[in-house]
Formats: sequence, structure tokens, C-alpha cells
Amino acid sequence: MNRVGIVGAGITECRSRWVEATYWKLFQMATRATLEDAQMSAAELDSVTFGIYNDIFEHMAIPESALTGLIGMGNKPGVRVTNGGATGFYAMRAAWMEVASGASDLVLCVGGEKATDCHDPQSGTATPMVVDTIAKSWDPFFEYPLGATASDSYMQKCMAYDDAFPGDVGNGQLRAQMIEMLCRQGNRNPFGQRRKEEVTAEQVMGSRWIIAPFLRLLEACMYTEGAGALIFAGEQKTLEICQRTGRQPVWVKGVGAANESYSVGRGSSNLMQLHRIESDALAAERAYQMAGVRPSDIQIVEAHDAFVAQLMITMGELGFVQLGRTRALIEEGIMADIRDLGDDGRPDKGQVLLNPSGGLIFGGHFVGGSNMFSTWSAVREMQNRQIPLALVHGTGAINAAYGGAMVLELGEEAVA
Amino acid sequence: MSTEQSTVIPEGFNLQHGVRPVTGQDGVECLEFSSSMHTLYWQTYGEHSVFFQALIDGRLIGAKCPKCGMVLVPPMTWHCPDCNFQQMESVDLPHFGRLAATAPITIFPLASKHGEAPYCRGYVDVVTGASKASFMPARLETTTGLPRPGIFTKGISLRLVFEDEREGRITDVFWIPESEVPEHLRSESLLLASQLQFSDPKPPEIQHTEAMEGVFCEALAALQGMADTATRSLRAQENLRSLGDLEIDVKTSGGNAALRVHDGVLSVYLVGGEGVKDSETLPDFVMQAEDPAVFSNWVNSGSLTDAAVEGRLWLPHRQAFSALPALDRVPRSVRRDTEEEKLSAES
Repeated sequence: MNRVGIVGAGITECRSRWVEATYWKLFQMATRATLEDAQMSAAELDSVTFGIYNDIFEHMAIPESALTGLIGMGNKPGVRVTNGGATGFYAMRAAWMEVASGASDLVLCVGGEKATDCHDPQSGTATPMVVDTIAKSWDPFFEYPLGATASDSYMQKCMAYDDAFPGDVGNGQLRAQMIEMLCRQGNRNPFGQRRKEEVTAEQVMGSRWIIAPFLRLLEACMYTEGAGALIFAGEQKTLEICQRTGRQPVWVKGVGAANESYSVGRGSSNLMQLHRIESDALAAERAYQMAGVRPSDIQIVEAHDAFVAQLMITMGELGFVQLGRTRALIEEGIMADIRDLGDDGRPDKGQVLLNPSGGLIFGGHFVGGSNMFSTWSAVREMQNRQIPLALVHGTGAINAAYGGAMVLELGEEAVA
Repeated sequence: MSTEQSTVIPEGFNLQHGVRPVTGQDGVECLEFSSSMHTLYWQTYGEHSVFFQALIDGRLIGAKCPKCGMVLVPPMTWHCPDCNFQQMESVDLPHFGRLAATAPITIFPLASKHGEAPYCRGYVDVVTGASKASFMPARLETTTGLPRPGIFTKGISLRLVFEDEREGRITDVFWIPESEVPEHLRSESLLLASQLQFSDPKPPEIQHTEAMEGVFCEALAALQGMADTATRSLRAQENLRSLGDLEIDVKTSGGNAALRVHDGVLSVYLVGGEGVKDSETLPDFVMQAEDPAVFSNWVNSGSLTDAAVEGRLWLPHRQAFSALPALDRVPRSVRRDTEEEKLSAES
């Protein structure tokens, strides 16, 4: 397998709604930003992978077809990936595989979402319709008619975890403290959706219930409109482009993925366990094995935090804290405090900088490209802080069934 | 229990055809057009048909693998994914089960469940004896008022209930705690929704305690103060007017009261003391809180909705719950109009 680097990363501003742009323009904006970052032109690219989660949001079947010419990829191969919340990760995996296999040398990976053009006439607002559109990810026979939503299904996992490990993620006050920390990080993200908001633990505890008794409004990720892109390159191309940009290369050192069953139950790998997010654990193990690293080697994590309780469990599944003891992230200071690190500091040994972008809760969650957004942040933080390893994580689909993990390494190759 | 619906897109769920100006964050005027992406279906149940035909017959069936013994309910497939797609057999399953995990209660629903929150959905372990089994996605209902935390906890025994009229949908059935099935119905082989009492649930018993009387008096004074100021707040009157005519009995461990909303005016009465409420009509519903402070919190900064969601305030049904957002807006409106000095002069 060929060595693969990431040579460019760019995102649009994350907004609750982009009145000024359709997804066509957002994808073009992200592509432009990424090409500028890599100091390249679209003509140099061999192919493209698109991450677009949901046709209903884009209001077009085959939504990527409209983008080909607009992003300068006319007459080149392109493939669209759609894998629920993990769409971004899986589009990145597809781009990485294409370069690793030698089929292409320079692949653009661009993802995004237009989510809040939806409208619910009953409330006169977008949100119930956005929730409904995402709920269409559940089957029409058994689950959707019962009122399944992304929030209730992720909370089902968190509550089952709480049954197995009582008290670990069930403390609302502790979760609110974690939200405060994520908020401070989100304030530093120049593209973040909530960069100007100051959310206190008290406000979190006072925000209204979405799912009882486990999820309040301010513990959930946002609906975001925006796009993000990355460029994956073969080894020689990576080094060549790093000479142009004068930056150290970032290598993809390990990639792992796992999808759990849609059906819930016990006793078979073709049935999902409720009290774990096993897909996260399997994806991470596979990525660590390929990279030859352990979680203790990694000090930057950009994890897919759909909900803060899920983020805690995910950090357990990824191996940064013990399952059942994920509150150690806060109680034992394993999650580094950005106030101590500033813009270029490194976490102490045993600490991890978790979601410096503000994550999906404060940064933004344009579903098809959220994991590109996370990668953009991880690359930026590795370079600014000179931290050698980072992990990017994605999750998605009913009951967090899909999981993906990518280990990135800051190259030591000298640059001009 | 099911709601009547004659067309798949509910009446009124639509948008005016049009194009209109819209201005976003950048302050540039753009246009937006109304549209839809509806597809209508006569969708086949295909291999799931037998499951739904069984539901219509009052039976719950699953698919069992003769080789490994795995039981799938509902039968998502008839060919075992663990045994090289071995043909599975149909088995009749008991109408009992255990809740596989504590179930979440949805407070903020999707558009298609507008007005149906709070509702509870979970997974039921039906074939508890099998080492390999799927759990059934389940609608969870209670005969004791609104679903609230503490009822649908991991491991509780559940009973399958069938709607009296079944059409072949997963909503033809739901599960209730076995403890709520009256003694004389426990041996019924087929339990129907009409055999259970959902419409007029009894509030849980609370003990009157003298220690709570002081707290109750404070709550009553806070309510009366709010009601008085509300008569001078246009916003509060608007909130109250949206409720129409409403009579609510309030029960607490420190004493009882009644709230009456009429023509945008809220009146608060003490019940069982002097100044007893003037009408003897039956209330629209009862709300009950062990701790009377639930009501002073409402007036001061909290919300009745949160109290109901968290289980501190008991409500009989969803219609009662649907009155809470407007009630919650009343103290906020009073505070806002007070802060903005928009209260009208005292009469």
C-alpha cells in the first residue's frame, strides 16, 4: 500500500443557515479554500470523492452530479459517499484508499450539507422538519413509525451504557462542565458556528429537555450548513507540495472502520449491543494497529461529538479512558484545559486535547463534511503545536452503528 | 389509542406556493422559494408481510434459525445471517418481555409526531431464554399518566397490548409495565387496549404533611402575585388567551389549589380553605406535585414543562402537557413586561 499524505485542508464558515449560498456554492468555496491551502489548481487533481449525507436536505437526487463542473472536476472520475453521520469519514477513507492503491495520485475529498432550508409548517420553523428528515434514516416498517430520532437513538445507547456503568455519564453537572470546556475551544475556531457564544454550565443545566432524562438542548450538536475539503496525495506528491507550501507533511498512518448491525440484540455480531459503541472501539483498534500506535501516544483527538454523553463513551471506546470511568476526562483532568495551552502549547503527558475545534457541538456539524472539518482542525493543531500524532473519529447511523477512525502523523521531513 | 388519519400527508401540513425575499447573516437580500420533496408510496411489506398479518390476528411471531437457535423479532430476515443464510422458521412468541435498557423519552419530536410528545420508545427482550436474540423496537405506554423517568427502566417486565382495531402497522401494538395490568387480566392470552384504562389515570397518592404547608403558602402567594401582575401584562394575557378556557386542579403535599384561565385572565384559588374556588365544575385536568415549590419555581425562573419532564409534576395526559408551554410563557412575559416597564397601570 502506498504512503498517503494530506496536503490541503479548507472549510467554509459554519452557519445555522447560509441564505447567501446553495450547497453548490458551499462545495465550491471549500474546494477553493483547500486548493489555495495546498497552493494547487484543480487541473492537477486526478479525481474527487464527495461526502453528502442526505438527498432530502440537498433537495436533489444524485446531488453530487451538479458539482462536478462547478469545482473544476469535469471529465474526471468522482464518487459520492453517503454513510449517515460518518459520511465524511467514509468519504475520506475512500479518497485515502484511492491514493493508497495507486489508482490516483491526487484526490480531492469534499463534503458538506445544506440542512436548514427544510421547513415545518406546523411550528413555522425548520427544526422539527430537520429532525424528521434525519429520522428518515430509520426504516419505514418498524422504527420510524415509533418516532425514532437521532437524539433518542443516541440517548438509548447512552442510557443503556448508564445501566451497565451507573453514574459515569449520568451526571448532568459534569457533562455541563465538559460543555463549558468545549465552548471555550469553539470560541477559538474562526470558522465555528458558535464562536461568539459563551455557554456556562448553569445555562446548560437550565436549557430545555430534548430527551428525558438524559439530553438537554445545549448538550447536542447543531444543524449546520457548510462544507469542508481535503486533498489526499501519494508520497512523492505530498513531499513536492510541502516544498511549495513550506509546511511539514501530515501522513495518514492508520485507518479503521466498522459498522454494527441495524438490529439490536444479544449473542451475535450480526446484532448490535446496546450498552456499547462497539463500532468506535473496533474502528480505533484497527486504525491503531495499522499505525502501530496506542491511544497513550496520541494527544490530539477530534472526535465526532453528536452529544456530550456519547462523546464521553466514545472516548472510552477509543481507549483514552476506561469504560465506566469516562468521567475521568473531567474529574482527573485528562481533557486538557485550553486556557492552559493557548494557541501553541502542548498537553501534559497523560492529557489529551479533545475537540480543539469546538467539535460538532460548538464548531459545527455539516453532516457530509463534518469529519473533514475535524481533520482540518487536527492538521492545524498538529502543525501549530508540533504534536506528532492525532486521531480523527466519525460516527453515524441509527444507534451510532457506524464508526471510523483515522490516525494522522506530523512528518519529520525537512521542508524548504 | 391510535390517532385517526385518513391521508398520509396530514391535512394542513403544507406550504403556500411562493417566492419571497430573505436576508441572512451577510445582510444581502436573497430569494427563497417554497417547494417539497414528497414521494407517495404503496410500499410492499414483502417478507415482513407475515409479521404484520400475524399482528392483525393478535399474534407476535419471530424467525428462528433451526441451526443456531437465533430468534429475530420482528423477523427482519427469514434467512439466518449467522448460518450461511439457513432458512429460518416462524415461531409464535409470548406477549411478555423485559425492557432491554432504560428507555429514552422524547420531549422534542420530529414533525410527523407533532403534538405526540412526550413519548417513549425502547427495545424489548422477548425471547429471554435464547442466547441469541434480537430485541423488538417498542412503543412504551403507561396507564399512570404521562411517560416519565423511573417507569421504563432496564429489566422491568412488560406486557404486549394490541389495539382493538389493527391495520397492519407496528403501531398496532404497544407495551405496558406488567405491574399495570389488572390482576383479572393477567391470564388473558390477548390483551386489548380497550381492556385497560388510559383515559382517566389516577394521580399517585401523596401524603399531606404539615411541614409542607409553609412551602405551599409561599407557592400560592407567588401564583397569586403572578396572576395579579399578569392582568397588567399584554404579553401574559396573550399567552393565557391562547389556552382558551381552562380549569386545572393543583394538588400538593402542602395543600391544594385551582387555576382557572378565562378570557386571558388567570385566577388562583385555594381549595379546602377560605376563598374556595367559586365553581363546582369538574377541572379539565389535575396536576400534582409532591413538592409545592414546583409552582413557586415556575413563577420565579423554572418551568412546569421541566418539572413534568423530570417527573416532579404529575400530569394525566398529553393534552395537559400541551398546555404547559403557554403556561410557562406567562411568568416570562410578566418578567419581561416588568423589566421593560410595559405593565399597564394598576386598576
